[in-house]
Amino acid sequence: MPILFAPLNVELQVTKINVPDDTKHHLANLGVLVGAILVVIADLHGNLIIKVKDGRLAINKDVAMKILVA
Amino acid sequence: MKKFALAGNPNCGKTTLFNALTGATAHVGNWPGVTIDKREGIYKKLEEPVEIVDLPGIYSLSPYTPEEIISRNYILDEKPDCVINIVDGTNLERNLYLTTQLLEINIPVVIAVNMIDIVAKKGDAILVAEIEKKFNVPVVEISALREKGIHVLMQKALEASLQTRDAISVLEDSKLAPLINKISALLLERGLNNPLFHAIRFIEQDDFELKKHHDLIETADEIKETIPVDGFGDDYEGLIASLRYKYVAQNFSRAIVRKIQNTTVTKSDKADRVLTHRLWGIPIFLFIMLLIFHLTFGSDLLLLNSIFGLQINGDFWTMLFQVEAGSGIPSPGVFLQSWVIYLLEDLLIPFVASWINIAWIQSLVADGILAGLAAIFSFFPQIMMLFLFLSILEDSGYMARIAFIMDRTFRRFGLSGKAFLPMMMCFGCGVPGAMATRTLETEKERRLTLMVSPFFSCGAKLPIWLAFGSLILGGQHGTFVVFSMYLLGIGVAIIAAILLKKAAFKNEASPFIMEFPSYHTPKFSNLMKYLWDKLKHFLFRAATVIAASIIVIWFLSNFSWAFWTGMVTIENSMLASIGRFIQPIFIPLGFGIGSDGWRFVVGIFSGLIAKENVVATLEQLAGSGGIATLIGSMDLASAYSFMAFNLLTIPCMAMVGAVIGELSKKRYVFETIGFWLAASYVVSLVIYWSIRFWWIGVSLLATLLIIVIISAVIHRPRQARV
Repeated sequence: MPILFAPLNVELQVTKINVPDDTKHHLANLGVLVGAILVVIADLHGNLIIKVKDGRLAINKDVAMKILVA
Repeated sequence: MKKFALAGNPNCGKTTLFNALTGATAHVGNWPGVTIDKREGIYKKLEEPVEIVDLPGIYSLSPYTPEEIISRNYILDEKPDCVINIVDGTNLERNLYLTTQLLEINIPVVIAVNMIDIVAKKGDAILVAEIEKKFNVPVVEISALREKGIHVLMQKALEASLQTRDAISVLEDSKLAPLINKISALLLERGLNNPLFHAIRFIEQDDFELKKHHDLIETADEIKETIPVDGFGDDYEGLIASLRYKYVAQNFSRAIVRKIQNTTVTKSDKADRVLTHRLWGIPIFLFIMLLIFHLTFGSDLLLLNSIFGLQINGDFWTMLFQVEAGSGIPSPGVFLQSWVIYLLEDLLIPFVASWINIAWIQSLVADGILAGLAAIFSFFPQIMMLFLFLSILEDSGYMARIAFIMDRTFRRFGLSGKAFLPMMMCFGCGVPGAMATRTLETEKERRLTLMVSPFFSCGAKLPIWLAFGSLILGGQHGTFVVFSMYLLGIGVAIIAAILLKKAAFKNEASPFIMEFPSYHTPKFSNLMKYLWDKLKHFLFRAATVIAASIIVIWFLSNFSWAFWTGMVTIENSMLASIGRFIQPIFIPLGFGIGSDGWRFVVGIFSGLIAKENVVATLEQLAGSGGIATLIGSMDLASAYSFMAFNLLTIPCMAMVGAVIGELSKKRYVFETIGFWLAASYVVSLVIYWSIRFWWIGVSLLATLLIIVIISAVIHRPRQARV
């Protein structure tokens, strides 16, 4: 499912990222890539704050729609 | 001299370390991407002085962003004697990702684990020896902020720089090893420096490398067929990134000894629950902004007088606060301003004037230079207060959150929330604001932000609002006048952004992806250093550009075209005839009407050099009655029209220069300047006639409303895109 619909404070594993190459690259640099473990810690009208390793990453709804997790 | 380069992720403390090493006062922000160009300085405490180069923050060495290209080219081409790789100890795994790439270059590397004080505070520890063993490079724990461990770091870097280091790759034990070895051997045969680095870039399908070695593509494809595929398909870049992360996670998860599991909620997270709350986030932000404005410009602190009737009376207290009896306690900004005005205008200028006997020198020094400079200096305290608050917001990490909560709103104007930082900086000064647009991803977003950026009233424009605020509307509504100008700027920026998005740019904002730094309390000495830097900048401007233009204006306004015949009254001066010649253009805007019109016209033109000039020039041109009579005799409509024109028109030379620097094509420069002229003229026109004849304002508002309703009906809001 898209991470947009994922429950809060649960560990999720990234299964697929459907974004253009440059965005995908940027996300990979920040630690968001297939296989990575993410936790959604806040949801502001679809814009999410996610925990990636020890960092906090803010993404907007469009991106959250395209990161698929299980 | 040896050269050491500082490389690391954005916001890992590179600039703080750079400042600590070199004694520089480069601006540090708790916001990714503050360092945009490389900076150089010298560290003097080793046996020999070494040059320190601060590279922009990067997440990787792939050439995607301008920052990555600058840093990568520097390390590859300039071959520094040592690369000091700064990693944020509070987010070790993510930061070591870049390290794995740096190690692939044949260059000495020293790893500095920064923010060790914060790690220790959490009760955690980092096993430095583990990292040293695996990567075979020196690792030093430091705290750049507390200036701990930095000398040891430099000694290690000096030692490392005396030796060579062979590149290693964490991919050497992966399934890609045969491919990497083959390509890197082939590149070595071609006599290429750093074959390992280039080989891995080549396998990542880096366009530049593929073009350069296109004949190797076949060989690579043959080997690729023998490698088992997995979830990444032919996305080798993704595969390599994931292998790097896997390596780091496997090898270094033990390097961090945690007191408590990292699943627990940090203090930053708790703060975020309030500050980025889905409902309260924006109101809290607006409240903070209002408080900042109040502390800077308010004449009745916390409304103590209005609500509780707390007044200042008695000679001692009115003298101390520099207010009239019966007023409230002034805000810190107003308090400081009153003192500066008192010292300059009531003490210094009369004192200097009394010492000079020759009429024209007295006129030049006292009425020209000193009066003009005093007009500007009196606004320094408030400009500095505003800078102080803005840098606290940025340094604490709150600014990044504001960008995030504003993103949803900004998207409607075709901008990402990231455009918010450059805009906020423009409230201080447009020059760093314009430079900060580089953190935006697409050129359209950059151009759109640059076009509206002068509308965010900068510190140098503030004197105009304050001067008018104290003289129009009976002088009783200064805060309101100032605030209304800030709101007008924001309002025009919003409308302009919507129109530009619909008519010219037709763009969608780039996705918002941004790291949140942890909140921290700004360090007092850093804030003061930053303010001192700004103050020096303003003083320098006052002493050079502004003083020079004051002298030119003094000359033009005290002499006629036959200047050898001696001084004349201002009405017969050269400046008056120039002003009167241009004046007709501004008659439709109100302030160009009448015998004083030319003075305002000249004021506007002097503002093109520096906006601080506007008030100084009006002061010089005001004639016998002074600026109070000049502005006081204006009607409200002309006054607002004049202020609006100054707010929206072509900004100062420095800002125009900065904007040109950010635009890639000449055509964009002309478009931008034309846009500023058009916007200022049209808005001032509308303001003048709307205030003059209320029914014009009302009918314009009604028309606007109808247009909005019609377009809302036609363009039904789209469903969320899936």
